[in-house]
Amino acid sequence: MNEQQPKTAPQKYSFEREPAKRVFAAELRETRIHFKDADDEKSPSYVLLPTGERCNRIFAVGTLTEKRKQGDQNLFYRARVVDPTGTFFVMAGSYQPEAMQQMARIEPPSFVAVVGKPSIYETPDGAFLVSVRCESITVVDKDARDHWVLDTAKATLDRLDLDGQTPDSARARAEYQADPAIFRRMVYDALAQMKI
Amino acid sequence: MDYSDTVERVSQKIVSRGHTVDKSRIEQKLKQLVEEFGVPSAEAERTVTNELFREFGITTEVATGAGDQKEINQFQNGEWVTTEGKVVALSSAPSPAIAQTGIFADKSGAIRFVTWSKANAPLMEKNKCYRLESAVVDEFRGVLNLKIHSGTVIKEIESLENIQPDYTPIDDLSPGVGSVKAKVIQEWDSTHERMLQSGLLGDKSGTIKFVIWRDGDVEKLTPGSVYSIFYALVDEYQGRLSLNLNTATVIPEDEDIEVTSGETSFSGAFVHMAPGSGLIKRCPVEGCNRVLSRQNYCPVHEIQPKFVYDLRIKGWLDDGRNARELLIQRENVEKLTGINLDQAQEIAENNPLGMDEVFLRMRDQVLGKYLSCRGREIEHRILVSECAFEAYDPAVLADLLNRAGGDE
Repeated sequence: MNEQQPKTAPQKYSFEREPAKRVFAAELRETRIHFKDADDEKSPSYVLLPTGERCNRIFAVGTLTEKRKQGDQNLFYRARVVDPTGTFFVMAGSYQPEAMQQMARIEPPSFVAVVGKPSIYETPDGAFLVSVRCESITVVDKDARDHWVLDTAKATLDRLDLDGQTPDSARARAEYQADPAIFRRMVYDALAQMKI
Repeated sequence: MDYSDTVERVSQKIVSRGHTVDKSRIEQKLKQLVEEFGVPSAEAERTVTNELFREFGITTEVATGAGDQKEINQFQNGEWVTTEGKVVALSSAPSPAIAQTGIFADKSGAIRFVTWSKANAPLMEKNKCYRLESAVVDEFRGVLNLKIHSGTVIKEIESLENIQPDYTPIDDLSPGVGSVKAKVIQEWDSTHERMLQSGLLGDKSGTIKFVIWRDGDVEKLTPGSVYSIFYALVDEYQGRLSLNLNTATVIPEDEDIEVTSGETSFSGAFVHMAPGSGLIKRCPVEGCNRVLSRQNYCPVHEIQPKFVYDLRIKGWLDDGRNARELLIQRENVEKLTGINLDQAQEIAENNPLGMDEVFLRMRDQVLGKYLSCRGREIEHRILVSECAFEAYDPAVLADLLNRAGGDE
């Protein structure tokens, strides 16, 4: 079976992998809430997307516009990946050696597909920064990018359509107090750019 | 618990042989065995009957009573039967306590039989017909069996007609013995030295795993061919059925039959390529085929320097809601990555990174791209039979624009 199967849970047939949510940069940037389901150190941590779904991992395709190597002993890469709505801040550090090596070989600008885990930082002056800890980053073509925009538009609309009917959706409505129309507009604008 | 039926049965057996017996005594003995000693009621019945027979000096042969003559599909657990049928298969005895085991069939059905060594019964021959008097039907792992013991009378009889069995649709098979007409739709890597072949059989109704063990005289099946398979053992393991063909009569058929695909489709982004993907080495020992470690070590056959190269990709496909594990085999790996086995070998041999280089090149081809694939789901992993990169579909755009703008 697969290598990642936890040995302590033989009753489970297979390791359940957290799905990678499709989310536009403009929505991820607004994310503020993060939580865990259980106190257990190994239980997954989530962010709550403003459109109303928990998210442990994202999949995003966009343009790598900038990449910088930082740190001396703890080397890491900081990169910007741009989609039709905004920018993902992507990091790859020594805890993700594979992603770091992939990052090292990619030169901006290129279309890239990123799989990673979102995390939220609060800066000392009270601002929030949402970044994506990269698990993998690969070069893809424009077709893959366009495909992702449609995929993400659909996923975002599906989340909005849930309209408070799931616990996560209800919680997001209560916590963020955001007008769903804003995200609908975001989706529309992202799609509108594709027509050209 | 009510013993009156059992008491009646036991008492009948005694009375029919010209003795009288006190029914309350029978009941008391049964009750004691079942309630005090936790003996299963069928076993208690046998014990009490035997005890009384001894007491009345009735010999065991007559003792047990022949039971009613019945056809196989009417057998019920725990009964004594007399039946006529044909030995359609013999298989090697799994234990010294068993003298002979095989399949006994009549026109109504087929059942596995077991002859105990201590029964000292004459061995039966394959394809001959017999009358069995006083055999016992019992249940082993949820499947009925016919037990031939020292009290069973075996008589060879003239050939019976019409015992060609009907085919059962695969989807309707139940544990026991079954006959199917099916097509070999997959041949799997052998996971055990003793295993000659395993794979998947299909007909219009469904699919089922089949196994042929080496110890019989059944030959390997040819993938893509259709066979009539009579009297295979239908085993159940963890809720899944499989066909053991070692007892079966397997006849190749010239025709082609319709087969259910039994496959699932899944589309999404390929988000992770797992270690063990790319160029791999397999154990060359026939029937093993296990993947070797980098040092050519097979968990069963140890160091194997004459390994066989193969290609595969293991990884996860993710549609944003669910992530599904994939196993993509050589043919599809070559199609997706554009790297065939020869090229992969060449890359590995002429590169300082060796096999890792193949992994990296394949990863760059596949990771982060949208794939759609079809395949059978086995143990929560999709064994991919067909897959392709998904093309961007602009038709979806108009629909989504309407959806996004529609509510304003």
